[in-house]
Amino acid sequence: MKRYGEHRFPGKLFVVEGIDGSGKSTQLLLLHQWLQAEGYGVVFSEWNSSPLVRDTTKRGKKKQMLTPATFSLIHATDFADRMEHNILPLLKAGAVVLCDRYIYTAFARDVVRGMGAQWVRELYSFAVKPTGAFYFRVPLGVAMKRILDGRSGVIKFYEAGMDLGLSDDAEESFRVFQGRILDEYEKRVPEFDLATVDATLPIEEQQAQMRQIVKAKLAQAKRLRVAP
Amino acid sequence: MRETYGAILPGMNLAEMTGKLIVIEGTDGVGRSTQIKLLRPWLEQQGRAVLDTAIKRSELAGKGIQQAKEGHTLGRVTLSLFYATDFADRLEHEIIPALRAGFVVLTDRYIYSLMARAIVRGADATWVRNAYSFALKPDAIFYLRIGVDDLIPRVVFSRGFDFWESGMDIHPSEDMYDSFRKYQTELLGEFDNLAKEFNFEVIDATPDLRTVFEGLRAGIARVLSGEPREPLFSVTPPAPAEVPEAASTKVVEMPATGKPAASAEDETQPVAQALAKAAEGDASR
Repeated sequence: MKRYGEHRFPGKLFVVEGIDGSGKSTQLLLLHQWLQAEGYGVVFSEWNSSPLVRDTTKRGKKKQMLTPATFSLIHATDFADRMEHNILPLLKAGAVVLCDRYIYTAFARDVVRGMGAQWVRELYSFAVKPTGAFYFRVPLGVAMKRILDGRSGVIKFYEAGMDLGLSDDAEESFRVFQGRILDEYEKRVPEFDLATVDATLPIEEQQAQMRQIVKAKLAQAKRLRVAP
Repeated sequence: MRETYGAILPGMNLAEMTGKLIVIEGTDGVGRSTQIKLLRPWLEQQGRAVLDTAIKRSELAGKGIQQAKEGHTLGRVTLSLFYATDFADRLEHEIIPALRAGFVVLTDRYIYSLMARAIVRGADATWVRNAYSFALKPDAIFYLRIGVDDLIPRVVFSRGFDFWESGMDIHPSEDMYDSFRKYQTELLGEFDNLAKEFNFEVIDATPDLRTVFEGLRAGIARVLSGEPREPLFSVTPPAPAEVPEAASTKVVEMPATGKPAASAEDETQPVAQALAKAAEGDASR
């Protein structure tokens, strides 16, 4: 079993991190379009999307039976499945892999839920180190406004951190929970050398910064011929 | 006060767990669940409330693991973590509440089987220990020990070889027998390592059902009465890799507990095989 560190595969791995409403998914989508147009073979992998684990996570959330421990472990299982069957083989094949959220999400979120920081790090030690990791820094108020304006439905139970009993009001719980995650993220930035992007800047400006960094890291990467 | 192997989960109150946590460990087909079926009514007759639990029985992940194992795309780390999820769910939602309520919790396997399986599949030893470090330390761990040669007929003449129990995922072979022997030998070797590290009480599982049951019963009665442990059976120390063939004819000396000795073959052969395996496996890990 390999432990967290630089991979030596021909592919490249870029990941985005940030609290809900930071705009990271939008930025990753724009990066994806650009890399494809540039002729790279690009594959996207999203947090919490393994088909193998999906039903279990769904059941746990629906019945509100997830504890901080099982919440952490089921997400690690999901990540492991994507790592073993998606991310690693693709990196070996020379693809550019884009991940919406990576292990740093767990490092922030699971720790806020009360799991030990070292325990979570060791749990995810099978992950490869990304070629580039971006952190979209946004003030809590801005992110909250984006989230609450943009959605008609209610905030989900676990999304709002309602399992922590922070508040009976979903919106208030969400605010406190996201605030704590934000604090955790900020601590992880220097530790894991995350490239910080000011997520209050215009979208195009953030994207230009991102592309510049990615471009430098792709200097020697070969472009895969991908069928249109 | 109870202890864990390191990590303490949020909301885990280690005080007031007055019940007893008793683990029955052993490899596939050794007869753990049969023994538990006998132990439960025996305990209940004495007025003890019993919870029995086993791997994959969690409400959260049991079904998901079953489904995942039916496919052919289950990676080794994923499998390990899926089991850890199942274990955590049972620990928090079954085992801990039962211990608080003063039950005797009989668990058919615990973290050790899961660790052994993961390690045999190449998982990092530190990683595996960390993943399960939130587990409660049991009051006793009874390990039903058997050699691969005694195990094989039991499996063949009961349920037959199973894909996962034969380690077909790591030793793809046209022959399930070969694969089973190889995989179980590695697994038994790993169990012997864990037996020392986690202080298992080893019960020889080669005699008939009744004898094994009596051994377990005596051990459990002792745990429930709060008497200190007296080693039932000592695990063979890690003999040098060059165990001579002649060792298989030597009678193993038993500690003075009056227990019948295992056949010498059972005692030495799997260890020797496992050591040879470990020696060749170490380089690839």
